[in-house]
Amino acid sequence: MSKVVGIDLGTTNSLVAFVKDGAPVVIRDRSGDGLVPSVVNAGEDGTVYVGREAQRRLLTDPSHTVYSVKRFMGKGLDDVKGEASLLPFRVAGDAGGIVKIGLGSREFTPPEISAFILRELKHRAEAFFAAQGEVDNEVDRAVITVPAYFNDAQRTATRDAGKIAGLDVMRIINEPTAASLAYGLDKRHTGLIAVYDLGGGTFDISILRVEDGVFQVLSTGGDTHLGGDDIDLLLMHKVLAETGWSQSAEKVQEIRKAVIQAKWDLSDREETTLNGKRFTRAEFEAMIRPIVDRTLEPCRQALKDAGLEAAQIDEVVLVGGSTRIPMVRRLVGELFGKTPHSELNPDEVVALGAAVQADILVTGNRDMLLLDVTPLSLGIETMGGVMSKIIMRNSTIPATGSEMFTTAADNQTAVDIHVLQGERELIADNRSLARFRLRGIPPMPAGLARVQVQFQIDANGILSVTARELRTDIEQTIEVKPSYGLTDDEVERMLLDSFEHAEADFAARLLIEERNEAESVIQATEKTMRAPEFADIAAKDLAAGEQQRIEAALADLKAVLGGDDREAIHEKTHALNDATKHLAEVAMNRSVQAALAGRNVKDV
Amino acid sequence: MTSPAPAIPRNADYFSFLGLPRKLMISGDDLEQRFRGLSRQYHPDYFYNAPPAERRMSLERSSYLNDAYRTLKNPIARLEYLLQLEGFAAKSPEEASKQVPPDLLEEVFSLNEELDEIRDMRAGGAEPAQIAARLEQARGPIDAKRAAHESQLEQLFARWDALLDRDAPPAERTPVLEALRARVLERNYISNLLAGIEKEMSA
Repeated sequence: MSKVVGIDLGTTNSLVAFVKDGAPVVIRDRSGDGLVPSVVNAGEDGTVYVGREAQRRLLTDPSHTVYSVKRFMGKGLDDVKGEASLLPFRVAGDAGGIVKIGLGSREFTPPEISAFILRELKHRAEAFFAAQGEVDNEVDRAVITVPAYFNDAQRTATRDAGKIAGLDVMRIINEPTAASLAYGLDKRHTGLIAVYDLGGGTFDISILRVEDGVFQVLSTGGDTHLGGDDIDLLLMHKVLAETGWSQSAEKVQEIRKAVIQAKWDLSDREETTLNGKRFTRAEFEAMIRPIVDRTLEPCRQALKDAGLEAAQIDEVVLVGGSTRIPMVRRLVGELFGKTPHSELNPDEVVALGAAVQADILVTGNRDMLLLDVTPLSLGIETMGGVMSKIIMRNSTIPATGSEMFTTAADNQTAVDIHVLQGERELIADNRSLARFRLRGIPPMPAGLARVQVQFQIDANGILSVTARELRTDIEQTIEVKPSYGLTDDEVERMLLDSFEHAEADFAARLLIEERNEAESVIQATEKTMRAPEFADIAAKDLAAGEQQRIEAALADLKAVLGGDDREAIHEKTHALNDATKHLAEVAMNRSVQAALAGRNVKDV
Repeated sequence: MTSPAPAIPRNADYFSFLGLPRKLMISGDDLEQRFRGLSRQYHPDYFYNAPPAERRMSLERSSYLNDAYRTLKNPIARLEYLLQLEGFAAKSPEEASKQVPPDLLEEVFSLNEELDEIRDMRAGGAEPAQIAARLEQARGPIDAKRAAHESQLEQLFARWDALLDRDAPPAERTPVLEALRARVLERNYISNLLAGIEKEMSA
């Protein structure tokens, strides 16, 4: 049977894990590395590199390299315009539409970039299972984690990325909840747990009650745009203020690498060097304090939403690479009044939990159950640009809500509905999810139609909508137009494109290799023919018409070299090779003799 | 192995779905335990490999269960739901706020006088501390009313549950339900008054 895995699709690093003999394990490469950096390099020739290699290329080929794409998932161009300045890649797209990532001459949507990362993880897992001697090593199903505070558009974008990568996304689960599942495996943890998850790009806090193997989320909060990246950016600004702001993209990436190293150093040491200067932990902490403080308010709000005091929390669990920073540990410890847990590797714990959830789904094992909540209230636009809430935040999912609509004009057959997510009163302050048009309402006088619209949030935290006109009991057709997402057709097309591109990418690579081969043969031939002794060779060693045959073959190859016909290039290269075989032998013999006569080979 | 999830019965309500009588006093621990037990039966996680019809039913049932749990957990939401089930639904909060409940007439009258005076003080450039003290004083009677309301509500909850225990006839139930509905309206009105004072304080 094909394999199922759990995937942590992180801002900085991604991991894949599976359950082996009842326990989750991270799948590592041959060198024991479990992390795949969430970095993608896509060159002009169509080759795509993911992970460590892409990370290396970030320093040499920054304009074709993208990192932290998770921060762009489900976003519009207008949301991210402000942060494009220090990024090596282009932030593109249409105003009011989904953001796109420009790498050289190509543009990708964030789900397509994420799909490259997912495909890499899929391949890693498949290679691992193949090496284990598994008969069926295909990985076609996965549980993928997202920040708890991800909205519907961000979750949908993640699910789309999975589809584009050729994965059946069995479930989208929240990272802090996944972590609690991994921690709760030993059944030691019963009671109230706070999971503080500060990663590369996102922050989550979830408060859970764990009892009888049921992991019930009571409340959640966070910021999907707050994490280690913001710390790196602060430090980069510090260095750029010292070095001057106009730096090449390559230099900016060098600086980024250096500040990340300095940040890591200061987790273990009291001081390090940054930009050739002494940099102390105290200075670092003073700089990043505002960022860490921004995580504390959502913690207090989550406690309030759960109806709890900090002192009632039994255990605090730390997740995410940024929780390695001593000050983060200290402040979280102070807030909850207890030392946080960090027995499990904060980079790996989410993937382990995702693997456990994947195992639950395929085996139907009822020992454990995750009951999560929707992080944001769901509502619709009503008169005066006000949002009317239909499903409140922190409602356990799956959840439903319904709203009655009627018509404003006689014989009106359609009603427009605007769906939003957020806590604010005015629609402009909330996130637009989609616009729906209810069609097929039977013609009747104004105000008489009674259209019941049912909103369903599933166990993935993703919304679907159905509607029914109650007087006639006619099911309505709903056209979904996601505000910042891809339509089903677009996802389908990208999936097909990825197959075609996989072939196209491969073909492009072969063509380049063929051209390289042809060019080296041309160069060698021309070099020999330009050499001073060629006239002597032609006169003494070559057969009648041989030089003309070589020149003709050379011209033939040059004629096809610029084209895309790989076969023709291959054929003409061989022809030139054959035509020059004798000449090459003669030339080589002469150079050997010359060398024996004490002359330098280079002079030949 | 997964067991099939049957459809939600047409005559089901949140109480019966959780196996509870329509009582207003519910043990939190008991509710939590029932909720966890039923979640283990119906959650979509356990129907991943089931046929589509069963998957849909699992989604429907666990959504209904979650809605039921959320409603019954909160005493006021529970009360409003019971009134709706019994055909004594309270009017919408907007409607209710227009009409002053008779029991509150006196308090509302004097509060409005106080608020007018406080606004005059503010316009006259009075110290913020002075205004805050006046507001604190003004909310005293409302807070007292709120406390009285809570204890009345508690008594009514107990009376309703006792009626259920002895399976009392509708003639006895109706006055209790009407009293409960009056309390819901009163509660909404008090909340609006307190919100008004809060707003005045932060002005």
